[in-house]
This record gives sequence, C-alpha cells and structure tokens, in this order.
Amino acid sequence: MSTKTRYFVVAAVAFLAVGLTTGLVASYMGLTVRVFSRAAGPDELQYVPANAAVVAYANVRDVMNSEFRQRFRQMEPDSHARDEFQEKTGINIEQDIESVVAAVMPRAEGSTSWSPEGGMIVVARGTQPFRQAQLEALALEHGGKVEEYKTKRLLTQSNESNPQHAMAVAFLDADLVAVGSYDAVKQAIDTSGGGASVASNTELMKQINEFDNSNAWAVGRFDAIAHEARLPNEIQARVPAIQWFSAAGHINGGVSGIVKAEARDEEAANNLRDVVRGFLGLARMQAGSRPELKAMVDSLQLGGDGKTVSIAFAVPAEVLDVLESMHKQHAAEK
Amino acid sequence: MIGRPMSYWSAARRVLDLSLGQMLWSRRTIFMALVVGGPVILAIIVRVLEMIGMPALRVNGQRVGGIGVFGVMIWMLFLRFIVPVLGVFYGTALMADEVEDKTLTYLFTRPIAHGAVLLGKYLAYVVCTSLVVLPSVMLVYFLLVQFSDVAATFGQLLTDLGLLGLGLAVYGAVFAFVGAFFKRPLIIGLVFAFGWEQVAMVLPGYMKRFTIAYYLQALVPHAMPTEGVVSILQGLFRDAPSAPTAIAWLATYVAIFLYLATRTVDRREYVLEQ
Repeated sequence: MSTKTRYFVVAAVAFLAVGLTTGLVASYMGLTVRVFSRAAGPDELQYVPANAAVVAYANVRDVMNSEFRQRFRQMEPDSHARDEFQEKTGINIEQDIESVVAAVMPRAEGSTSWSPEGGMIVVARGTQPFRQAQLEALALEHGGKVEEYKTKRLLTQSNESNPQHAMAVAFLDADLVAVGSYDAVKQAIDTSGGGASVASNTELMKQINEFDNSNAWAVGRFDAIAHEARLPNEIQARVPAIQWFSAAGHINGGVSGIVKAEARDEEAANNLRDVVRGFLGLARMQAGSRPELKAMVDSLQLGGDGKTVSIAFAVPAEVLDVLESMHKQHAAEK
Repeated sequence: MIGRPMSYWSAARRVLDLSLGQMLWSRRTIFMALVVGGPVILAIIVRVLEMIGMPALRVNGQRVGGIGVFGVMIWMLFLRFIVPVLGVFYGTALMADEVEDKTLTYLFTRPIAHGAVLLGKYLAYVVCTSLVVLPSVMLVYFLLVQFSDVAATFGQLLTDLGLLGLGLAVYGAVFAFVGAFFKRPLIIGLVFAFGWEQVAMVLPGYMKRFTIAYYLQALVPHAMPTEGVVSILQGLFRDAPSAPTAIAWLATYVAIFLYLATRTVDRREYVLEQ
C-alpha cells in the first residue's frame, strides 16, 4: 500500500472514528452541546422550571408592529384601562415590551387544588429598562412589600384569604421582569441560578425546536391541562390519548399557523385524525354557502404522521378584508 | 526456483493491498467523489438556508427537521442511487478492467488461485467505497442534524452506516459475478439496478423478493418518502421482511454471489484481444 493510500485510509477511518465517538458520547451521556448549535427558543426559558406543564411565547413587538394588528387596531375596545396602566407604571405595552414568555406549572405534589394564579409565571423583556423605582413606589402605595431574594428585588402582594395566591414581581435584569405567584417567581430565580430549567426537558424542547418563523407559540402536556380543566368523565373518555399539544402562529399581513397534537400511540393518532377529518369535512360543507370563509377553510390542511396530528391554517389578507368590511357594516348598523 | 503457492486468504490479502491503491487513485474515484459529494453540497445548502431562517423542506406547511431531511437523503440519494451505481461501476469492473487493460496475465501467472484475485479485488472495492461513502454520510448527518438532537437520533445513523456498508457489499458481490460471467457486464448491471429492481419493487406479489432493494429497504430506520409515483406504488405494495430475515438474506446473497464469481474466475479462460 503506498503512503498516499495509507494516509487516505487513516484519514477516512479517523473521520469515522471521531464522528462515532462524538455520537456515542452524546447518546450515552445525554450531552446537549451548545458549542455548534444555539438552543431552541428564547433566552428567557432559562427562568422556566423544567417541570413546567405549559410554556408559551410571544414576540410582542413583532405582533404589535404587524400589518394585521395595525389593521384591526381601530376595532379594539376602549383603551382607557391601558392608558391608566401606562400612567401608573410607565409601561406602554405596545412599545415597551419586546417579548413575553409564560409558563404554567403543574399542581404541587400533595396539593388537592390548582389555580392559574398559584402556579403561573410570566417573564417579560422590555425594549428599555423598566422604571423600577416607580413600580416599587406604586406597589408600596397599594400595600405591597419590597424584599430581596438571592440579590433580586421582589415586589410582593400577599393574599390573606389564600396565602398560596400571593403575587410577586421580580426584577431579574434591568429590562427583564418576572410576574406571577410568589412561589413561582422565587422558583424562576432559583432556576436561573443553576436549577433545572425547561431547556433540560428534552421532550418539551423537541416540540419547541420545531417552531420555525413563528412569533407566537405555546406547547404543553395535554394531561396536565385536561386534568385541571375538569372535563366531564364522558368527554375525557372520548378524547384520544394525547400527550403533547402545541400551537404556533406567524402574524404579519395575515395569520398563519399550525396546531399539533402528539398522541400516545399511532392508533390514538389515527383516531384523532379521523375526528379532525370529520370536523374539517363539516367545516367545508358549511363554508360552501359562505364564500367569505371558504378561503380560510380551504387553507386548513390535516397533516402529521405516526403519533403526530397537525392542522395548518392560513388566514389570508382577503379574508381579513371581508372581516374588516363586516365589522364596519356592523358598526354602521349600530 | 519456484516459490510455495500462497494460501487463498494470503493471496486475496495481497491483491487487496495492491488493488486498493489502484482503485482509490483511478479515474473512477473522481466519479465516486462527484456522486457522494452531491449530498454533502446539498446538506451544506440546507444548513445555510436553516441558518438564515429559511427551512429547506416543508411538508403540508410543516417544517421538516434535520433528521427528516437526512432520512430523505438516505432513501432518495444513497439507497436508491449511490449504492447501486457504485456497485455497478466498481463491481462489474473488477475483472473487466484487468481484461480491458490486458493486465490480467500478470495476476494469473502468479502462483495464486484465480478466485483469490477476484476476492482480493472485491475486498478492495468494499474498503474503497466504504471509506468514501460512509464518511460522506456522517458529514451529511452532522451538517443536517442539530447537535442537541444527536443523542436521540444517533442510533439511526449507526443503522444507516451499517445498511449502506451492507448494501455496498451485496451489490458489489452481485455485480462482481456479473462482471466475471457476462461479456457486457455494465449494461446488464445497469439494467438490473435501475430496471429490474425498480420494476419488481412496485409489482404486487413475491417478485420483489428477487431484488436486493427489498431486503435493504427493510432495514432503513427512516420513513419512506411519499413523493413520486415510484414511492407511492412501493408504499401500496410494501411488505417488509423482519430485520433478521433481511440481514440473513443479504448475507446469503453475498456468500452465494461471491462463491459464484470466484468459481467463474477459477474456471473461465479469459482470452485477451490483441
């Protein structure tokens, strides 16, 4: 074997060996190497605990600046409450919030009841630093307290009738605040300080990783939601065994998005697909006599394979034209 | 002084040593580099598109993830094209090249079994193609699949590497026999790989069992793409054997066709045109 051939053989074998070793190490040690790839989702996920049942995200700036929003701005109800909020807090929701990440925590172990205010957290990133002094003064004025937890300032509001529902606002960074239940906010601070964040929840991150080009999305464990929704037993028994659900949308001139569900097995997925197919058929039949809805219903596409069932949809600008004219007509009639 | 004849395996190893360099630095390798370079270039393009926020592949409005694109490449490029085409071009040429270049005399006048010449050349083909194709598959995998997904999908890559290696070995053995037995092996090889195999795979019934693709496709860990008429027809009449059955049949193919090829070379009298 010539030297040239030997070099080639050694180089090819070495390349294969490096690739196989890397893959084997990643497989057996569960490495999530971030050197070559950016983790999916926004940075704020580092504040969301790993056991979150539902995680949602919205790029508020994108949505607020979208043509869709500008178009329907005039249809919004009275902005008095919004103006009052801005006056008191100095926050203009339309302009001062960059993005929002919200998480719903599952019911605490041993607890018999669950409420959104007891296990929910919202992490908001501002386009500029929040006016901490103004917010602290406002909290104190309304009976709130200021405390420190692991170097972070917390504004707390106790709930005497139900201590579990005490609320808190934490200043995580100059332009980053967490709002939610007292325990959940403290948990978020613990998580960012080295606790297990949702980024280590591979199943949930797999779902988040699939969102592409979406400026709003939500993903969660279906069982956690169905349980808390207290659906009647008859309905629960008929809902196919769904493990995960997710919804993602892109809002700009129109609205497009996808709703997905991951069933426990392929049989459950096929059952769910049949149910959805039936509803789609019904919707198409109804839309046949209503041309304004036809384009939207036609855009519904049933997809997914294996355990996944999905419906993609698009609300084109033409449908928005129809909705806009319907609103104007309705307003004129009033 | 006449030396002691070499054992069959020692002779095959010597021929492997000699033929590997010849194969690697031949014009045929340029063709092989172009063929396996195609998926790598495609993977780079997909990666660049992903990096600038444009998903390269969407099905029903849904973005297809890296492992999905990788699966499509394994099916459409490697399994259905690259592996059979390399098997045809290299396998049929194992003996034909020596005959065409009139260098067969130099090998056959050595005190070694004629069959060992073919076996050594076949082993050189397996090593040469595997060392080019498998690293290219690995490169495509790491270009397409996010690093965070490696842990979950690495098993699929190992299966792909194994089945592609096995595919190269089986197609090589079949076409080594074709090259040793027939006068126009390239045409027959192309007809078999891209005619018979494609037709038999879409026919209902047992005909597909007389193809290599039937057993190889049973080992693929990725879902079969559903684009194209061929894929749809294959999907309709698909009945895949179990993995052990497929591996056993592929190993049997290798053994039978290598035996037939070496036996043919042992018995056949090659007449070199002057």
